[in-house]
Amino acid sequence: MTKNKTRIIIAALLVVAALAAIVLGVMNLPNRTNATGAQIIDTLRIRTLLDATGAGVVDSYVAIAKKEATAAAKAAGGGMAAIREAVAKAEEETRAKYSGTQTDYSTLDTTALTAAVADYAALLAEHDAVAVAAENAYIAENMAAAEAAAKAEREAKIAAGEEVGEETEVTVDMSGFVATEEMTAAKAKADAQYEAVGAALQGIYPVLDASALNTLKGTIESIVYTRGDTFTAQYDRYVAAGSEEALDNKGAAFVVRYADDLIYVGAALLIAALVVLFSELLVRKLGIPRVIIGLFFILLCFMCLLYDLSLPTLLSNAVVRMGMNSIMVLAMVPGIQCGISLNLGLPIGLVCGLIGGLVTIEMELPGVWGFLFAIAFGSALAAAAGWLYAQLLNRLKGEEMGVTTYVGFSIVSLMCIAWLVLPFKSLKLRWPLGTGLRNTIGLDSSNFSHILDDFLSFKIGSFDVPTGLLLFMALCCFAVWLFSRSKTGVAMQAVGNNPRFAEATGINVDKMRIIGTVLSTVLGAIGILVYSQSYGFMQLYTAPRQMGFIAASAILIGGASTTRCKISHVIIGTFLFQGVLTLGMPVANVLVPGSTISETLRILISNGIILYALTKSGGASRG
Amino acid sequence: MDKKNFKEILRNNAVTIMFIFLCLGGMMVSGQTTAYVVYELFGRLARNAFLVLALIIPIVAGMGINFAVTIGAMAAQIAALWVVEWGISGVQGFVTAALMTVPLAAFFGFLIGKLLNKMKGQEMIGGMILGYFANGLYQLLFLFIFGNLIPLKAPGLVIMGSTGVANTIDLSTDRGFKYALDGLWKLPFGQALYVVCAIVAVITVVLMLFKKVKPVKGVVTLAAAAALCALYQIPAVEEIFSMVNVPMVTFGVVALLCLFNVGIMKTRLGQQFRAVGQNRTVANAAGINVDKVRVIAIVISTVLAGWGQLIFVQNMGSFQTYGAHEQVGLYAGAAILVGGASIRRATNKQALLGCILFHLLFIVAPSAGKNLFGDAAIGEYFRVFVSYGVIAMALVMHAWGSTGKKKSLKG
Repeated sequence: MTKNKTRIIIAALLVVAALAAIVLGVMNLPNRTNATGAQIIDTLRIRTLLDATGAGVVDSYVAIAKKEATAAAKAAGGGMAAIREAVAKAEEETRAKYSGTQTDYSTLDTTALTAAVADYAALLAEHDAVAVAAENAYIAENMAAAEAAAKAEREAKIAAGEEVGEETEVTVDMSGFVATEEMTAAKAKADAQYEAVGAALQGIYPVLDASALNTLKGTIESIVYTRGDTFTAQYDRYVAAGSEEALDNKGAAFVVRYADDLIYVGAALLIAALVVLFSELLVRKLGIPRVIIGLFFILLCFMCLLYDLSLPTLLSNAVVRMGMNSIMVLAMVPGIQCGISLNLGLPIGLVCGLIGGLVTIEMELPGVWGFLFAIAFGSALAAAAGWLYAQLLNRLKGEEMGVTTYVGFSIVSLMCIAWLVLPFKSLKLRWPLGTGLRNTIGLDSSNFSHILDDFLSFKIGSFDVPTGLLLFMALCCFAVWLFSRSKTGVAMQAVGNNPRFAEATGINVDKMRIIGTVLSTVLGAIGILVYSQSYGFMQLYTAPRQMGFIAASAILIGGASTTRCKISHVIIGTFLFQGVLTLGMPVANVLVPGSTISETLRILISNGIILYALTKSGGASRG
Repeated sequence: MDKKNFKEILRNNAVTIMFIFLCLGGMMVSGQTTAYVVYELFGRLARNAFLVLALIIPIVAGMGINFAVTIGAMAAQIAALWVVEWGISGVQGFVTAALMTVPLAAFFGFLIGKLLNKMKGQEMIGGMILGYFANGLYQLLFLFIFGNLIPLKAPGLVIMGSTGVANTIDLSTDRGFKYALDGLWKLPFGQALYVVCAIVAVITVVLMLFKKVKPVKGVVTLAAAAALCALYQIPAVEEIFSMVNVPMVTFGVVALLCLFNVGIMKTRLGQQFRAVGQNRTVANAAGINVDKVRVIAIVISTVLAGWGQLIFVQNMGSFQTYGAHEQVGLYAGAAILVGGASIRRATNKQALLGCILFHLLFIVAPSAGKNLFGDAAIGEYFRVFVSYGVIAMALVMHAWGSTGKKKSLKG
């Protein structure tokens, strides 16, 4: 009872904090674009400007002092050495005199400067808009040529036998770009306004002469306007330059700057409150590991927002990675349903799929037909291999997991030898010098690279929707679901649930297990092809070894157990698992730059969830 | 009757026999001199025998091959890192690391045992995945905690500009303990043989005097020792062992572990291991705390594996911080199975024989692969395939046997 009470109290406190944060955030968010925000930015900008020009002012004083010292020394009739000494002394003294003393900003009248700078910023922005338009036009004009050049270079590389990566985004060389007339006109306007700014600055620092202003121009321009300026970008830039002191109310400005983050924190706290309130229910319904991973995913989402990482782009990547992994995860379903539990021997199917892909490239079958041929060829191989594999598994009922793992591992290392000796000829596949196939085979547009991803794909903001990939995933899921509803499918599940009972009702247990295993292996073959086309590489040698584990852990995260699973487990699990990995990497890089923590994360999550499933299944089924 | 027995022996030792042929074939094809192969073999035995012997107790206790020995190896590497950090070199360093390994490995072993008790019947796959999982934690520890949160001062442990502990930890500097154990007492093979034969002879005579050994057996032992020494006088035999320098202390430690493995089976605890290994239900009924016995077995195995890894790294002189432990379980497990052990039965002899055969293949495989197919990589992949294949085969054979038994019981 008291436990419940504390929980309610904690939740209530969280809700209060959340509401406070959200209200504060929502109230301050509009301030960014209205007069309050403009005033904050203006204050900061002028201070940064004065700080920067202050340094120029010192230089000006030094120049004047030097000149005077030279003249005085000459008048006194000293030689070169005496002049040099006098100049050095004068410079030292002047620098010490001016740089040590902080200008008292409160006494300065900056009204004229503020107005001039605001106009200057507007004109610079105008010029930049024109420039962006012109540059885009130039890029559009030259894109085709650049793409052709990139392709030619790539093919030359393959012919020369160098390692070729995935096709990267083609960039147009901007060195041939010339400013348009419009740009020059806008630039002239801005330059004219700079004169006004200069005049205002001279009003404050009379010592600044025309040449000093000229040297300062670049600095001032970058302070006043940078491409893509927003409230937050400007605020951060000025605060980084140390101009926060200028603000009368630092706290209020801070709240305006972080208003969106306040809203995110509020939302996160609300979710935390809900979790605290319903923790027992959640744990009971989903199990501890899924709750932890789900919460971790949500936490990562909020951290992306807080660190101003583009959440839509990252989520879009997560969706792509869900799609590319989903078929391999789906391959677990028939295995679990027919009673061979997690098919950790999935690499058997994967290498069959890879062979299908290799044959396609060797025969230079392009595009969709090539992909379909790869799937057909790989599936046929996988069906044969799966049948043999099922024969083995039928003799080892109840011991499948350990055996499948090691059989899968052995096949992968056997195939390592095969990759070295298989008689493929294409230079895209082989090392031109040395024996065997390449470690990673880069796919390109003449093969089936991104053939599903790019099919009917479209963009919503920065969120890419890989329509073809998702459609293919849905199709496969639907097919497996349909099969599980068919007579054979139902019989197969009966075998998985209770082999003795199934046998008693006249179902051929061995046959059903063969069907399940073959299906799982075939799906594995299709899965690796889908994965490769999206990834842009086919990975040979030891790469497929761990993929069975990744697929198994994904479906377990989705809510399956070693004996029971649904299609929804596949989709939820793959999304959560891949989502955590995709979001984890950039967040980890912000926290610890250059780290490989994402890989560590994958190891921990993937093996942790399998261990959890083992502890849940092992004891119970064996007593 | 005899014929049937012969067939039985063949079938039970199929893997070992196949391996003997593989090794012989490999040696013939590889083109390496026998002296070189024997020299390499002794080096590898000194490094690996301890680790393989560490697997025996969990097998007897019915937990299969303890693939979680990788975690013992991790404990040893944590200890080795700190010993280098403190700059304790030589034998003191090795002993400090060994002592430090005990509480670490025992604690890890305790946790492993607790977890494996929750997945009875799935210990092998569980142990393997647990090893992978622990590897993730190990990476966290070495990449983000050591060298960052807990600063390391010794030169070469942390590389500027990268996160975490360096990829390789060098033990051959004046802070390390390279050859701490091996270098204590090294003898050429001939002298080592005489010393060992002399020790065996003395012990046998003493035991005979106290009537602990039957006279016939004692005489046979003495004769065998004499015969070995005599055999060594043949120049051809001497030639084979000409390159071998035996690290006496290391092999002494291995011998001690063999004695320990035999000795513990004669104690009450050893009997409990056996009882639990044969049948948990019966053992439970007999009043044995099955879970506790299993945890003890894993704790012992993990600590021994830690020491085994220390012996391994002191011989190698350096270790890959993030990779040295990864294959420990795989190679040790495959080795013991090659020697004829099953996942239910294992002896010292099987462990040692397996270690010899498995590492013999490791020595000859790359150059055999190069000579046969013109590519050393094929030999490399072949030995990895053999490691996995042997384990898969042992599992298949075991499962086959047990399902067969179940069926025959039903029928």
